[in-house]
Formats: sequence, structure tokens, C-alpha cells
Amino acid sequence: MPQFFFALSLIALVLMLGAVWQAAAPSWKKYQQEYHRLESLGEPNAAAKAAVLNTALDIRQELLPGLQRVDRCTTCHLGVEDPTMKNAPQPFTFHPNLAPHVVAKFGCTVCHGGQGLATDKVNAHGKVPFWPEPLLPKEYIRASCGRCHKEGDVPGVPELTEGRRLFEATGCRGCHKLNGVGGSIGKDLTEEGAVRRYPEWLERHFLDPNAVSPNSPMPNFHFTKEQARALTFYMLSLTNEQMGTYYSSVRLIPSAGYGRQLFTEKNCIACHSIGGVGAKAGPDLLGVAKAHSAGWLDEQLVNPQMLYPGSTMPAYDLETNARKALITFMAAATQEDAQTILSGRPKPLTAEEAAIEGGKQSFARFGCVGCHGLNLQGGVPNPNSQGGEVPSLLHASDDYTKDEVIKIIRNGKQPPLQDTSKPAPPLYMPSWKAVLNDEDINRIADYLWSLQSKKSGW
Amino acid sequence: MTPLRDVWRSIVRRDPLSTDKGKSELVFLNLWLHIHPAKVKRENFKLKHTWYLGFITFYLFLILVTTGVALMFYYRPDAPQSYQDMKDLQFVVYLGSFLRNMHRWSAHGMVICVFLHMCRVFYTGSYKAPRQFNWVIGVFLFLLTLGLSFTGYLLPWDQLAFWAITVGSNIGGYAPLVGPRLKELLLGGHAVGESALLRFYVLHVAVLPSTMILLTMVHFWRVRKDGGLSRPVWKLKPAAAGPLVRIGAPAPAEAALVVVPASQDKTYGLMEVVTGKPIFETVTAEEEEDTVFSYPYAFFREAIALMATVTSVMAISLFWQAPLEELANPAKTPNPAKAPWYFLGLQELVSHSALLGGVVVPALAVLGLLAIPYLDTNPSRRPADRKWAIRAFTLFVVVNVVLIIIGTLFRGPGWALVPPWVHVSGAE
Repeated sequence: MPQFFFALSLIALVLMLGAVWQAAAPSWKKYQQEYHRLESLGEPNAAAKAAVLNTALDIRQELLPGLQRVDRCTTCHLGVEDPTMKNAPQPFTFHPNLAPHVVAKFGCTVCHGGQGLATDKVNAHGKVPFWPEPLLPKEYIRASCGRCHKEGDVPGVPELTEGRRLFEATGCRGCHKLNGVGGSIGKDLTEEGAVRRYPEWLERHFLDPNAVSPNSPMPNFHFTKEQARALTFYMLSLTNEQMGTYYSSVRLIPSAGYGRQLFTEKNCIACHSIGGVGAKAGPDLLGVAKAHSAGWLDEQLVNPQMLYPGSTMPAYDLETNARKALITFMAAATQEDAQTILSGRPKPLTAEEAAIEGGKQSFARFGCVGCHGLNLQGGVPNPNSQGGEVPSLLHASDDYTKDEVIKIIRNGKQPPLQDTSKPAPPLYMPSWKAVLNDEDINRIADYLWSLQSKKSGW
Repeated sequence: MTPLRDVWRSIVRRDPLSTDKGKSELVFLNLWLHIHPAKVKRENFKLKHTWYLGFITFYLFLILVTTGVALMFYYRPDAPQSYQDMKDLQFVVYLGSFLRNMHRWSAHGMVICVFLHMCRVFYTGSYKAPRQFNWVIGVFLFLLTLGLSFTGYLLPWDQLAFWAITVGSNIGGYAPLVGPRLKELLLGGHAVGESALLRFYVLHVAVLPSTMILLTMVHFWRVRKDGGLSRPVWKLKPAAAGPLVRIGAPAPAEAALVVVPASQDKTYGLMEVVTGKPIFETVTAEEEEDTVFSYPYAFFREAIALMATVTSVMAISLFWQAPLEELANPAKTPNPAKAPWYFLGLQELVSHSALLGGVVVPALAVLGLLAIPYLDTNPSRRPADRKWAIRAFTLFVVVNVVLIIIGTLFRGPGWALVPPWVHVSGAE
């Protein structure tokens, strides 16, 4: 009996040593030693070399409560902020052009993806089961800018702006919900960027939905490669994560372009002029940024009465970044800018034109184009429906009265079957009465009829 | 050296172990060992009778307490920090993974061993008089083990934990009248959330373990008072058939299972007079001659069982990682969402009928288990005399195991019957 007991105790000891051995030599220690060796090469004397070589090995982490993350990447990526490591091999390479996104404030994973808490390569780079955000391939990293910069242009990332534009213009909301607005035929996209395992899949999906997801009811929009990339960027940027104010305050980058947009929207040119072009009710704004400090201008925008009691300028309740953007725009604005802003002001529409334009907007916004086509030509395949395709709407007024069309939009319609023995067609006209109000529906009908009259006029 | 010797003597006050008195004193002068008798019968430690399952279960509990306390140093019962703590155990805590693996695998092992122990007790008829009530305590210990495992299941706060507890607590909510109230009391709300995590934590580290320790003490005390560890009494030959054994003579090989009559040349003394019959189990008036000292006979066997348990758990923990999925996400339901494996038989029943499968059948099963020693009035423990009892219990065990296997391996998305070798492509 004792011999069994001692044999088992020996096995337990061996297993314990095995566990200790497993835990004793983590790979990050080897990386840190190698980094200190590289650093010591540049030291002038033996004492300094030894000091560098004997630096304690420890796990480094950036605590980022505002991003709800802890990033330990710099445990191995030690040279990220050291310009002398520009030509060092990975994982020690210097990260150029980092400012203002310094590691201490942003960590790494919010842009690059990966598992910040991990301390070994495989887990840290995140291509492991149950980690939703592995390291993004290089060409998609810029999509992460959209996680914080949710509106306006992001310098260097035109794809985001284009993706956002395409999303609204192509009527994606007709089928997909985003932030609570949109249809329910497709997937809710509010958190589409939370799982970022398959960016390439997304891109191929935009090029041809059926190629990667057989029987997907999503029609093929025949996007170009650039458009598919732009939409992929936009999808990857869609996360619903809680961010600290430091990060959420940069939703909109205070660029001159955004300032110009605001200047136009708020109709500043109605009172002010730039270099003599514009109205004369308020002061001319050419060179105003030279005459006053940015702080003074900011005050003026917050409360015009404060600096000039009795001023007729209204307070516009602009966000900090919006004021910054306006000031940036004013600093660079010229007479030509004023000219284009003046000429670009919309001419008033007739009531009829307004209704048709409204119908067109609703048609695009609520995703009718998704099935019926951007030019209402129809043609999206719909197996086993009459004709096998979603019908064109160009001839709606030939086959129906306006009231019938309104009724179909309100209540939806199952397409008639071609062959009753086969399954029902995947696409059908949904009921829109929960989404659209009567006014919208009437406008859409007006829009369809306006196309018809144009055609008969030819 | 005298002072050191004095210190030693002040701690260990027994005689040397080479003497019989020393061997006895080792047991009854020691708080931890005195639950043992000073001498045991050889059949008490027959491997093929008990399979040491009670010991193994207890040792797994000891491992769980030790590793559990160690894990508490690193754990915050607050979402989503709990999940981060799991990641820290994996990535930065020294031996953290190993610790968590040991805790996880021991917990599964304990559920299995408790069940096997219960089967063993049934098949050997060890729940019969005078041990009826100890069986009842054992059933409660089984339920406590399930409760401990279930409350611990939520703590990692990953998808696996969140949805298993959601499904598990929904099953509990099917009970009429009290079900929804009990569910709300347990979860601290209508759905699994932060308050559920805190409640499960308190139950897991304080309420249930302390109850478990108390009941375990009663369980062991009763084992001792009811005549010691179970042994195959029906195999013991009646006294008349066996040869007489003379005290002091070397025991013949077959003497181990021989019951001898009271010896003629020995004096018996009653230290205290207790009226009435002894409650403990006896085969004949006198079995004294077949006993050996607990040291080393019992202690070495127990120590070997302990080391075998510890090494098995260590070996498994070294090579298999405890699961950890994504952070719990109440908005993202996995398909299928499954309860912890030991409740999958129940979930399988519930999938057919919520009331019948979720309430009536499990309630009857537990009541039936509790009532076994009182329903089964057949005094014989010999398997040949209790064929129907054994058949009925075997049916119960097989149905349980089959249901759990179906629920675990054969249920796919939408709880459809999918064999484990068929791959169902997911949404992605």
C-alpha cells in the first residue's frame, strides 16, 4: 500500500512541476528580453548596456475605462512610441503618425482589433474561438475611425463618408434597421461592427449577396469594388459601445468642410458677407479669425449678447465641435466661397414639385429601391413569381388606379405564383402602414405617377 | 534537543505508532481522524464494494473548497468585470488557468461521483435500516451539489454561463404558483443580470458550501454511528459455518470474510450501561477478531484514494482548458441555448411538456428518491432477493443518462434532433 501512495504522490509532484513549467516561461518575457537586447546595442558603455539588459520584465497595460478596455499589447509591442525603433522588426516596430491618438489614451485594439487582455501572440491577435474582434487586416484598419467619428468627413478615410452616403441613398434602411430606424426584412445593423471576424466576407457579400449567402433575399445591387469596400468600412464602424465623453465628443471632426456645411445650413450669409459678397446686416467675416482669437470667436458664437449687448445675432446652440468647425471655416473663407454658397441656395419649389420630390426621397429612404431598382426598372430575381422578377414600377399607372397602388403600399401584397406546387417566392411586398404615414404613401404614389406622365409626354 | 522534543511531545501526545496503544491514540486523540474507529473491518475497505465513491466525492469537495478560495482572491461578482477576471486568470495570474481548470473539472467530477455514489448505495442496499435517514441526507447533499454547480456556472459571465442559467432558471419558473416567485427571488429580477450574478455568488461561496459542510458532517457521523462503512454483509458466512479463530494466531487467508462467535477466553467490559438494542448494524454478536487497526490499513487506502483523485484532476486540468466563450450578451441568444449538462435531461423533458417535464416528473423523481428507504421494506440486502428494486432503479438511471445524452449531444438549432456527427452550419 505505501508504495502506491508514494507513487501517486510522485505523479502529483510531476504534474505540479508540469503546471509550474507551463506557467514559468510566457512568450512575452522572451520578447521583452529581445527588446532590451536591441535597446542595449545603442548604449555607449558596458555599464549602461548591463543596466538596460537587466531591466525588470513585466506586463504593461493601458487602462482605458472610457473605451471599456485594457490593452496589454505594449507588453510585446514595446517600440510603438519609440522613433528609434522605426526599422526594428515586429513586434518592436515604431508606429508612425500616431498623434493625436496616443497609446495612453487609445490603446491599440479600438483601431486594430485583437484581444487586449491577452499576453500571448495567438490569443492577443484574437484569431481564436469566442473572440469577436480579431486583428483587422491592414486594408480595413481605417474603418475603425468610424467607431468614434460617426458623422462628417474623416480625413484620409473617404470610404466611410461614401459608405454612409450609399447606405442612405441605396435604401438599405428599407430592409435593415440601424439605430432603431428601418425595416425588419434584413438583419439589424446597429451592432454589425461588433463582430469583426469576417471583413472580406462582408465585402464579397456586397459584390454578390448570393455568392456567399445562398438564398439570401438581399438583391444584388451591382456595386463596384470601391462601393463594396466603402460599405464594408461603414459596416465595420457600426458599434453600439459605450464610450467616455473624451471619445464620444469627437463624433464629428471640426473640419473646415463641416464648418462650411454649417455656415450654409444656418444661413449665415443672410446677414454676413465675406469680402463684400453677401448681406450687409452683420459684419463682414473676411479676416475675422485674424482680428480675434479663437476663444473670442467661440464666446461670440455661444452668446452674442455677452460681448455686444444689444447685438441682433441669435444664439445658435452649437456644439463645441460645431463652433470649432465654423471658426476653422471662417479663417479660410474667401469671396468665392460666399459666391458658391449664395448661388447654391435652393430655389423654392412649387407644392406639386415638393410632393413629388418628397415621394422620391421616401422611395429611396425606405428602401423601395432595394427590390424595385434605383430607376424603378425592377428586375431583381424572385423565383416562382409571375415573370420570375420583382415588377418594374414604370407602368404602374397603366395597370392600377392610384387608390389601388396606395392600398398595395399600405397592406402589402403576395406576388402571384407561377407554379403553385413550388414554394412561395422569397420576396414579397411588405405592409408599409406601420412604417409610412398616409402622407408619405400619397407622395410615393404621386412620384410614381409623375414618372408616368413624363413618359407619355415623350 | 530536549526543548524541541518537549515541544513535539506537547503537540503529539500519543504513544509511538509501533505500539497498539499508539495506533489507537493516533485516531482518538486527533480531532481530524477521530471520526474513524480505532479499528476497522477489512471488508469496510473492499474496493469492489464501495469503489471509494463517497471518499472521492468528499476529496473533490476538498479540492473545490481549496481552489475556490484561491479563485475568490481574483474574482469580482460584478458584470462585466467578472468576465475580465476570467481573462486575467487565463493571461496574467500565475497558474490561474490551472486553478480555474481544477475547479471546473472537479465540479463536473463531483456531480458525476455523487450520482455514482448514490447508485452504489442503492445497489448494495446500504440505505436499509438503520441507515434510512442517511440516504435522505445523501439525497439532499446531491441536490446541494447540483445547486453549487449551477450557481458556479454563472460566475464566469460568458455566453455559455448566461444562457445556461437563463434556460435553467426558466425551467424552475414553470412550477405552478411558487415557480415565478422562486425564480424572481433567485435572480433578483425577471431575467439574469447583475443582481442574479451577485446572488449566485453569495449562494456559491457562502450559503451552499456551509450548508454542504454541515450536512456532510451529519452524513459522516451517521455512517459511523450506523455501523461504519458499508460492506457486503450478505456475503458474510454465518458463524456456525466458519472455523474458530484463536486470538493471537495468524489469520488464515479466508478469514477476512469469516464471522466468528464470541471468544471464550476474553473478558468483556461495559463502560457504560445503555439500555435497549444497539442501533448499528451487526451480523453476529461478535466480529471483533476480524478487525485491523485503522492505522495504517484504512488511512493508507484513504490516502491513496485522495492522491488518485488529486492526480486525476491535475492531469485533466493540465491538458484541457475550462471553457470560456464571449462576454455575456442578453441580446444575442445562441441556438440552441442549453442548460448545464446535468439539467439537460430536464430540458429534454421540458421540450416535450413544460408542466409535466419541468415540474411533475422532477418533483416525483426527487420525492421518490427521498422515499426509497421507506417504500422498500424488504429487509434483505442480497441482490438476488431484490431483483425488482434493482430493475426499477436501473431503469431510472438509464432513463436519466439517456435523456442527458440526447439533450447534450443530439439536440441542435431549434432543439431539433441532430446527431453530433452532422454539422449544422450556423448563421455566420
